[in-house]
Parts: sequence; C-alpha cells; structure tokens
Amino acid sequence: MSDPILVVIFLRGGADALNIVSPTADQNYIAARPDMLRVARGGDAQGIRLGDGLADVEFRMHRNARELADLFAAGDLSVIHATGLTEATRSHFDAEAQIERAASGGEAGGWLGRWLEAEAPGGPLPALAVGTAMPESLRGYHPAVAKKLSDLTVATGHWLAPALQARLADGFGDHGALAKTSQELLALSKVLEHRLWMPKQDAFRTYSPSVKYPGRNRLSPALMTVAQSIKEDLGLRVATVDYGGWDTHANQQGTFDRNLRGLSLALMAFWRDLGPRQQDVSVVVMSEFGRRLRSNASGGTDHGRAGAMLVLGPQSKGGRLLGRWPGLHNDALEMGADLAVTTDYRAVLSEIMAGHMGLKDTSRVFPGLDAPAPGLFA
Amino acid sequence: MLNRRAFNLSVLLAASAAALRPDSVLARTQDPDEILLNRLTFGATPGSRERLSSLGRADWLKEQLSLPPDDRALMAHLRTLTLRIKYAQRKGKSGPLWAATDELRPLDMLHTPPEERLKLTQNEPARAGPERRRPAHEVIAASLPRAVHAEAQLREVMTQFWHDHFNVYAEKGRLSAAFFPDFDRDLRAHALGNFRELLGKVATAPSMLDYLDNSRSKASPANENFARELLELHTLGAENYHNAQSADWRDVPRIEGGLAAGYVDEDVYEVARAFTGWSIGVGRRIGSAHLPATGQFAYVASWHDPYQKRILGRDFSSNRAPMADGEEVLDMLATHPGTARFICRKIVRRLLIDDPSDALVARLAKEFLRWSEAPDQIGRVIQMLVEDPEFADTPPSKLRRPFELLAALYRTSGARVGSPEGRFYWQLASAGWRQHMFPPPTGHPDRTEDWASSTVMVRMIEMAMSAHEPWFDTTRDRLDALMPKDVETFGDLTRHWARQAHGDPGDGLDDLLQAVGVTPEDPLPKDAGDQRHLAAMALTFAAMSPRYLYR
Repeated sequence: MSDPILVVIFLRGGADALNIVSPTADQNYIAARPDMLRVARGGDAQGIRLGDGLADVEFRMHRNARELADLFAAGDLSVIHATGLTEATRSHFDAEAQIERAASGGEAGGWLGRWLEAEAPGGPLPALAVGTAMPESLRGYHPAVAKKLSDLTVATGHWLAPALQARLADGFGDHGALAKTSQELLALSKVLEHRLWMPKQDAFRTYSPSVKYPGRNRLSPALMTVAQSIKEDLGLRVATVDYGGWDTHANQQGTFDRNLRGLSLALMAFWRDLGPRQQDVSVVVMSEFGRRLRSNASGGTDHGRAGAMLVLGPQSKGGRLLGRWPGLHNDALEMGADLAVTTDYRAVLSEIMAGHMGLKDTSRVFPGLDAPAPGLFA
Repeated sequence: MLNRRAFNLSVLLAASAAALRPDSVLARTQDPDEILLNRLTFGATPGSRERLSSLGRADWLKEQLSLPPDDRALMAHLRTLTLRIKYAQRKGKSGPLWAATDELRPLDMLHTPPEERLKLTQNEPARAGPERRRPAHEVIAASLPRAVHAEAQLREVMTQFWHDHFNVYAEKGRLSAAFFPDFDRDLRAHALGNFRELLGKVATAPSMLDYLDNSRSKASPANENFARELLELHTLGAENYHNAQSADWRDVPRIEGGLAAGYVDEDVYEVARAFTGWSIGVGRRIGSAHLPATGQFAYVASWHDPYQKRILGRDFSSNRAPMADGEEVLDMLATHPGTARFICRKIVRRLLIDDPSDALVARLAKEFLRWSEAPDQIGRVIQMLVEDPEFADTPPSKLRRPFELLAALYRTSGARVGSPEGRFYWQLASAGWRQHMFPPPTGHPDRTEDWASSTVMVRMIEMAMSAHEPWFDTTRDRLDALMPKDVETFGDLTRHWARQAHGDPGDGLDDLLQAVGVTPEDPLPKDAGDQRHLAAMALTFAAMSPRYLYR
C-alpha cells in the first residue's frame, strides 16, 4: 500500500443537506417545504432508504444520488449529519473562510496547508488544487493549481523553452509572489514532460480512465485529473476539488437536482476508476453550511446552519449514519429556523486525518479542538 | 496551445540552449512614472508615457479623473467590431422554431434600449440561447478593446474594480444577460463618482436584481440573497459582520449617531424585508402584480413587507412611502464608517498593495465620509491615495491578473484589439479569469497570492507568446508589422521590445539573444513570419520579468 491520499470535494454555495439525506417521515420536515424541495417516502420523489437510519429516525437519500446510496449500502460511504461550524455564521465568505482554515485561535493557514507544511511530503506533486484557484484550506502551502496535468508544464516542445525556463528560474529572485511558484512549477514541469510528453506526436498523452465518466458533468474532468495524478504515482497526498452552484435561493429544484446527479455519477465513476488504488484513498464531501429548513417564497432556500458530510473510503467503516440528530422541532432548530450543529465538522476531519492519513497529533492541524470523534473508524 | 512551428533558419538551428542569467531587474529602481502608469492604467504605452511626462503627474491624474467615458475614437472603434453568433436550427412540433445561424454581427445590443432587449427574455417567440445571451456577450467582447484603447484608463480600471466589487454573473439568467449593458454603463458612468449614487444604480439594476434574486423577493419570507451580499460584499463588508461576537442584535456596539457598528443575521433578515418589491419591469403578470414592460427597475408595492423594521439599531416605522425603506438602508450603509473603511481598503488593494496600513485606510475613509455628498467622491479618494507618501514609497508587489496582463500585452505592442470570435474569454478563463462570468458574488479575488499559482503562470507565458497569433483571434495586427521600419538587427529587436514593455531599452534580453545564438549586431531575418515569431519571443521574454508582471 502506498501513502494514504485525501481528496476533498467542496460543494460551494451551501448545499441543501436536508434535501440530500433527509428525515423523510418527520412531520416538521414535510410541513416546511413543498414536495419539489424535499425527499419523499413514496411516489415519484421517493428517496432511497439508508439502513436503519439514525437514532430511530428514518433517513433517505435523494433519488438523484442513487450511486451514493449504492456506495452506502456497499459499506464504503458514511454520512455524518448535522455537522458544521460551532459558531453561527450564515455568510458564504465567513463560513468558507472559517471552515477551511479550521483555526479557532487565528492560527495561520488552512487545515490542509498546516498538515502539508508540517508533514512536508516528498514527491513532485504532494498537493493538487484542481481548478484555477487555490482554496483557503490549502493556504500556507504551495500546492500545484491546475485543471489538468499538462497545464503544469512550461512551453513544452517550444524551441526556446530552455531559455524561457532559465529566465523564470533566475528572474524572480528568492522572494516576491512568483519566486516559489516558478521554482516548483519548473521542477514539476520537468517530471511531467518526461512522463506525458510525446515529442514525435508533439502532444501530451491524454488520460485514459478505466471506466467511462459521465459526460456534460463539471465534476468529471476534475476527478479524472485526480485519478490520473494518483495512478501516475506522483506522490499525491492531498487533492481538492471545488464543485459549485449550490447557492439555491430561488427556483432551487432544477439546479439542485442536476448538481446532485452530477456529484453522484461522477464520484461513482472516480471510485470505480481508482480500482485497487481505492485502498489508499479517502474522499470527503463537504459544504460551508446547510440551508434553511423552511423554503422561501421564491422556490428556494436561504442560508442555514448544519449540513451533512460524506466520507468515502475503505479505511473507515461505511454504511452508517453518524452524528447526533437534533430533530426539526421548532425548539430544536437554531434560532427557530435552521438545523442545529451537533457535530463539529473539525471532529470529522480530525478523525480522518488520524484514522486515514496516520496523523498522530491532530492538535497541530486542529488547534483547540475538543470534541469527540464521530466514530468513523470505531 | 503554444506555437511550436518548426523554425528553420540556419542561424537559429545552431541555437544554443544555454541561458544567460537575466539582469537582476528587481534590484533596479523603477521610474515612478512607469509605476504610476502600471497602477492606474492597463499598462504603459509610448503615448501614455509621453502624455504623463508632458503634463506632469498632478495634471495627468486630474485629466484621468475628469475624462468622460466613451471617447470618440473608442466609440468609433467599437462600432467597427463584430462578434460571431452561431447556433444550430431547432425544430418544434409545428415547423422550425429557428433557423441555423452563423454570422458576424456588430455590437448593436450595447446601444439598443432596454425595452427592446426585454423581448429577448420573453418565452414567445422561441429564440436560441445565444440570442438571449447576446447582450452580455457583447459587453464581454467590448471589455478588452475598452481596457486596451480607452483614453479614460483610470475610469476603465475602476469600472473593472466595481464589476468585481458588485459582481454579477452575466449569464446567470435571461434577465441578468439582457440588461447587462445597462449595468456596465452605470458602473462606468459612476466609477469615479459618488458612492451612494453608484450603490443606488446597482441596487436597482435589473442585472443585479436578477443575479441576487431580489426581483423575486416578496413578503413573506423575503429572499435574503441580495440583502446579505449588500451588507457583506457591497457596503459594510465581512469585517463588520458581528454575528460571532454578538449573540443578539441588542449586544452590537453602537457608533456615534447611534447606529450599530456592524451587522448580525437579524439585520440581514430585516434588510431583506426592506427590499421586498424591488423588482424588474418584465412586462407580465406575476401573481397579483402586473409589471410594466420597461426592462428597467420596477417597484411592486403589493410585494413589499410594509411593517416596522429595526436595521442596525434604527427603527423604521410601518407603511412608509414607496421604496423609502430600501432607500434609507442604502443611505445608512453608504455613509457608515464601516463601509468607508471597507471600500477604501479595497480601493487601495486594487491600486497599490494587498495589505495597506490601517493608518492609510483611515485617512482615506475620512476623506470618503467627508465627501459623501460630492459628485466626485470616489475620485477624491483615489487622488488622496495617489498623493499619499505611501503610494510612492510602496514598491510594486501586485501581480497583474490575467485580464490585466492580456490588456497590457496589447498596449505594449500597440495592436488594435477586437475579438470577432470572442476567443480571448476562453483564454482568460483557463487562467481563472471569467470576465463578467464569475459565478460567486465575491467577484475575482484581488490578492496577489490568489493569482501567483502554477496554472496562472503557465497561462501568462502562453498568452505572452500567442496573444498576437492569428488563432488567438483578438487582433489582426501582426507583431512584425507593429515594429518600426528601422528595426534591422537582433539588438534593435530586443531594444524595441524592452522599451515598449518597460519604457527602458536597457533591460537587455541578452538571454534571448544567447539562446537564439546571435549577437545584437546580427541582422534580423527578412521573412515576415520569422520576424513575427522572434518579436513574439522578445515580447514574451520582456513580459516575463518582475518589472512587467508586478505593478
């Protein structure tokens, strides 16, 4: 087995967890939303029942997340419900910044950045932020940022590439924003050129996944890049993938249903594509917050509090709903409006860092965390 | 992709790959005029250098602050531009819904009145998506030629700033797309003007009302999307969000005059109620309301939640005049010291440095509040910033972002820019810059560390190498033709491009000459294609230096 790998998929915008994994029999739930914004026990919108539920409450997975329900049934996927920030915020910016930094006392960097900085893993590509921007969670470390691996090569195939590379290597000095970037990029470029560049064809070798990924899906190309990086043995330890579009204030149904379908199909394709490398990988799916229990007057839901986290990977014992379900009675809601947070999201991440990534002292990554592990590995 | 065409000159085949260490350009002190131009414009040009040196810095700034939008040359240029529209035919149940279309059209939507563009949003007749989105696409297509060619450069820089500050994802919906030209025009018109007036334009702009869902917000419960971003992104900023410190709205500390120092979630809920009924004249009946067919802001009294509210500690009585609730909220926010600090800090971050000193921000915020009634409030803040000793004393540390780099490359070369295929948009998107199409309401980030990534660096190199290639399809001008006739040797070539890029021919591109295997005295090849290619490399090498990339 190789070094363990963590993949974090962030659902940007505040995913409506109450419409992903839902207490379908709860009368408060049924009363708070129109049919199109909730999972049903029967009929066309019937959800897929998840085992024995949580604390005698029946939970069902949205019908568009069939593959996630399959992974749950197969014992690979766990759901931790009612998770989130312990301090109330309903601002995207604030919630994302807090949740990705995970630093209660103002410590520097993001939680993944702190781990990478301390662990200092070797290899040409220890951390990859798939996309065009680095998420806050990696702050404090210099991850590679790219949509595909060939985007991390400098002027490959050009006759003046060596001189241009030399200019970049020498020209940006030891400080300034581009100093470290250019050094790391040039080193990585060399490795990737060696692995992927076909001089005769004047092209990069394209990735051939072992299963077909769903087309017309924003998540597929990103997860293919992660799968390729894993299979190329580039020393990948951490990958982040952003999957946006969950801020559904109005006319939620169409957007939400499409997003969830895309997540479910692409994640299943990624998981099957990994094949035997599943052994090395854990995937966390999270968002900055859940959404309001009661829908608004424009067919959508406003910013809420607790959401749900999904953990996929053979190291944890899947097929279980974890956490403590606070219920949806008015008294149980935060400010009478939102699903209350009963599990500190950091407790979930911390347990994965310990149980999967083998981190012995989690207090460096999650300073000040004093919450019991939800029991992913118990 | 890069231009990898074989380069078959014999002199070049002998090229040595050994590189010479480039001059330590960081150590060199830079010309303050050059720094000023790089901060306040989309890049220095020979013309702007000359203008600045003949007027002097103070008068040049005054001129930039007073130039109106849309100079005549720019308008004439925009009128010559075309943008392709292309889609397949669609059949309906009873015949074709629309015919296949593939044509180059002028940017007419920029001048079409909103009630005409409103038709693009209606269900009947059926229309292809690209027709409905056309107004937004035209604004995007015009944005690069504006950045490159506008005489009012500072206004253009600030227009882009406000586009990011008041971000609208132009294609979010039919309405946001159809009315995006109006939004763009309003931001440009008020870019250096009065903040309250600008804020009022934004809060009533159909594109914004659609993007942040306020056009659908009615009692009750109200839609909170606009209200939250108004507080968090447009005015007070997340730095004045007191939710973590104050469990209850009564606990939020007050400032002079009795207003709360910041906001909590209850303020968001109340502000959302204040803006119920602020909608768009879409020309149809929605529920109980009939909206006029204007394609402009419309107030729907029957959707408004008229009862008492408490916002930032101030009581609003019930049943006030139409729009009075929302207008008063905008008044309170536009003159709040928290807003002044937030806006001024962002302006400094745009024009000078990521993390300005609190003292500088405080000086500017004071000026911002002092001139809150003035028609040139924003311009005065910028002027104070530029005249502040910290402005001159701060070394360049801001990385040009992808859009700014691309515009600068064309200003450096002197090429005329249009984009018949709109292809520059995709080039920028691959570097994380989605011009007017950035989905989250935060807009493009403005900290250098957000852009100093491997992928952006790779894209910047590619842009420098290929921005003038035919396939890039943004300019018809070729680099060989843009060079003066007296560029005859390799030394002339590198001196020319160093001067264009840095205002100083002395920043040698010796490493390029060395790699090509020539001396400065060697004559340039006569072939136009070879000259073009060498010019692109000279431009690339000149651009890939700290003094070009940092401003």
